[in-house]
Amino acid sequence: MQFSFFGALQEILAGSGFAALAEDPRKLVMILIAFVLLYLGIGKKFEPLLLVPIAFGMLLSNFPITGLLNPPVGGSSPGMLWVFYQGVEHAIYPSIIFLGIGAMTDFGPLIARPSSLLLGAAAQLGIFAAFLLALALGFPEAVAAAIGIIGGADGPTAILVASRLARDYLPAIAIAAYSYMALIPMIQPPLMRMLTTQKEREIKMEQLRPVSKAEKIIFPIAVATVVILLIPDTAPLIGMLMLGNLLRECGVTERLSDTAQNALCNIVTIFLGLSVGCKAVADTFLTWETIKIIALGLIAFTFSTCGGLIFGKVMCKLTGGKVNPLIGSAGVSAVPMAARVSQVEGQKANPANFLLMHAMGPNVAGVIGSAVAAGFMLKVFGA
Amino acid sequence: MVHGPLGMLDALMVALSGFVIVFLMLALLWGLILVISRAIAGIERHPQPVHHPAAAPSAPLSNGAPAAPAAVPVALEGVDELQAACIMAIVSHQTGIPLEQLVFRSIKAL
Repeated sequence: MQFSFFGALQEILAGSGFAALAEDPRKLVMILIAFVLLYLGIGKKFEPLLLVPIAFGMLLSNFPITGLLNPPVGGSSPGMLWVFYQGVEHAIYPSIIFLGIGAMTDFGPLIARPSSLLLGAAAQLGIFAAFLLALALGFPEAVAAAIGIIGGADGPTAILVASRLARDYLPAIAIAAYSYMALIPMIQPPLMRMLTTQKEREIKMEQLRPVSKAEKIIFPIAVATVVILLIPDTAPLIGMLMLGNLLRECGVTERLSDTAQNALCNIVTIFLGLSVGCKAVADTFLTWETIKIIALGLIAFTFSTCGGLIFGKVMCKLTGGKVNPLIGSAGVSAVPMAARVSQVEGQKANPANFLLMHAMGPNVAGVIGSAVAAGFMLKVFGA
Repeated sequence: MVHGPLGMLDALMVALSGFVIVFLMLALLWGLILVISRAIAGIERHPQPVHHPAAAPSAPLSNGAPAAPAAVPVALEGVDELQAACIMAIVSHQTGIPLEQLVFRSIKAL
């Protein structure tokens, strides 16, 4: 046997990922996109908890010949990322994230002023507007429905619907949803100022009534029962959201609530991010459709914000000026960022204005509203 | 539920129906919350007799002060609502008395 050091080196290089990259330069483009997303997550702090794992998943899955995404064939072991992705495929991760969101959310402001629910409903306008626009741009119905859900400003819901209705577009939809959620403080304020008058923005709202513990305990049980019985497709999202909230409010499951809010949510966030990112491969991502989805996402967010604000103005008129319309824009889910934007804009107009708790009502109503809209889309377009 | 490609009119109908259903569902929840709140308020207004004599501070006020002082709004002088809320929270924390058992009549900036 003859051994040549340079021959071995040449063979290693020829079989390396670098050589394979030369065969398909689109992978290199995807790797560069992953670098940009990593920069946005780490450098610009755009939803870093999600964007960093998503970008790293994208990076890993675009390294050639790793086999990370290989499904089990015959007796072979599946790739690691393929295994992780099953959690998205079977709607496990988004549901567990909803468990965590439920455990973190105080529905007290919503219970204290239940009319906020209508603001949460109005702010789903973007879902249906983007659905129609996506259809007009030539997307198939199910894909258009999944794209529309970006307008709900609710990452887990968008991922769940995309995993069921538009698997190939999942990474683009998830990245659009989370990117725009991070950009809410930039997207919403100009629309808020455009659609409301100075006088409306200055409105000080009455203090919310205290909510009893019994109300807070019964609320998640009642909502889960009514909503899931009416629209069974909402079960994974609404069921887990309300379970998480019950763990928080019932007062006898502090450890479970703490786990759902922190450890479990963080663990699943890593798997969810990696799984979404790993599906961003050149064949499906480097297309005009991705650019269209990103554009439609922005339109969806804009329509949702406007829907909430316009309904806020209606409520302002109907209540004789007791409701500040700025809380309407918080009806897009994005908890609690959208509510914070309402607070900031309200205080700019009137430094004595404290809208945060008032905006939390529509904000958490938006979570329920987007889950209902998702359930509707799954019912209409699901297999 | 939808079979075959959607025409634009059908798509409009789907979008409109979806939006209306979201509204109806959340309006239904509004009603549900009102019912729950009223039921609980009714139950709490007529509480069952409690047998905890030591824990019940039911002694009548010697000077005949009005009942339910918690309903009296706090007079704020020179402080805004946020500062007042912070002060109340701090007093509650420092004294170890839950906020619902504390009565603030006024908070004045010195």
